[in-house]
Amino acid sequence: MIAVLGLIVGVVAGLVVRPVVPTVVEPYLPIAVVAALDAVFGGLRAMLDGIFDDKVFVVSFLSNVVVAALIVFLGDKLGVGAQLSTGVVVVLGIRIFSNAAAIRRHVFRA
Amino acid sequence: MSLLTNVMDHSLDDGYAEAAERRRAEGRSRVPRTVRARLWLGLGLILAALVVTVGAVHARESAPEVAKERGELVRRVDDGSAHADALEHRVDVLRADVQSRQRRALQRHGGGGESVAEVLSGAVPVHGRGVKLVVDDAKNAGSSGGSGPRQSDGFSDTGRVRDSDLQRVVNGLWASGAEAVSINGQRLTGLSAIRAAGDAILVDNKPLVPPYTVLAIGPGGKMSTAFQNSADGRYLHALQKEFGVRTSISTQAALRLPAAPSLIVRTARPLKTGEGSTS
Repeated sequence: MIAVLGLIVGVVAGLVVRPVVPTVVEPYLPIAVVAALDAVFGGLRAMLDGIFDDKVFVVSFLSNVVVAALIVFLGDKLGVGAQLSTGVVVVLGIRIFSNAAAIRRHVFRA
Repeated sequence: MSLLTNVMDHSLDDGYAEAAERRRAEGRSRVPRTVRARLWLGLGLILAALVVTVGAVHARESAPEVAKERGELVRRVDDGSAHADALEHRVDVLRADVQSRQRRALQRHGGGGESVAEVLSGAVPVHGRGVKLVVDDAKNAGSSGGSGPRQSDGFSDTGRVRDSDLQRVVNGLWASGAEAVSINGQRLTGLSAIRAAGDAILVDNKPLVPPYTVLAIGPGGKMSTAFQNSADGRYLHALQKEFGVRTSISTQAALRLPAAPSLIVRTARPLKTGEGSTS
């Protein structure tokens, strides 16, 4: 119940408040989105596996976003931002994909 | 590959397994249902939803902006090229105007009628009997790669008609009594240049495509004979015999030669009166 409420509150807040993304963090927004999706899918799979842990979820979410943004930021400073963000997207994308596959196995038994 | 395998195997955060292990060791229930835990979960989901929503909103808002900027640039490019087209058209109109005025002025002050100077300078179109001379590259000249005059592979193909050949032919025709000459429909004047750029032959800086049709107005048969007996005519004959350059000469009863595309006025004096000075 609280989880669903949290989701709705988050979406509504994002739509209503329309937080102005500072131009400094703008390049890291897509990476942050991918990292957030990774954490969400990981949490969902853990829930279906029966080993969900709220603290792990929140901490992994925050650290994922921060570390992904940090890597890209560092890459930008070193002049390899595009390559590093590609790497981050590849790793997170693979994780999202295999987590989604695990969720599918849980839900459809196939 | 081990990197990819590693990523695939650890797609689920290891923290979950460790936390589950800890809970089992402490003998607690599998999924804790305390209010605090639920609040934590809610907070995390709020954050996740917020980030994803902001990302989506941002992407949606910036997309039309990019399209708008692009459209604006396209519009400016279109405007610029339309403007350039208009200016080009104006240049053409003005050039034609200047040419017609020049022609009129020359007709008025250059004696009028078909004077020898007018015919020789190519100021007026002429017609009459004359000679038609067709010169073409040898059959095997540069035919290995395409047929264009620019696709040759150096100095090897000797069967190609050069600019100097055409110069000799034209000079020979003048010497044999031609009054007006044109090559591929381009009237030659006393100041025309026959030059080469790469393998293409240019007449007054306009490239020609073989075969080269040289029309000369003059006393038909007499000119033809005179030309073929002249040094230049024999030169052409030698080209034909030695290198296979294809030539044919024939007298024509009626030829029409256009006027030269533009006459360049080199010396001019302003009129003493104010006539025609304002337009």
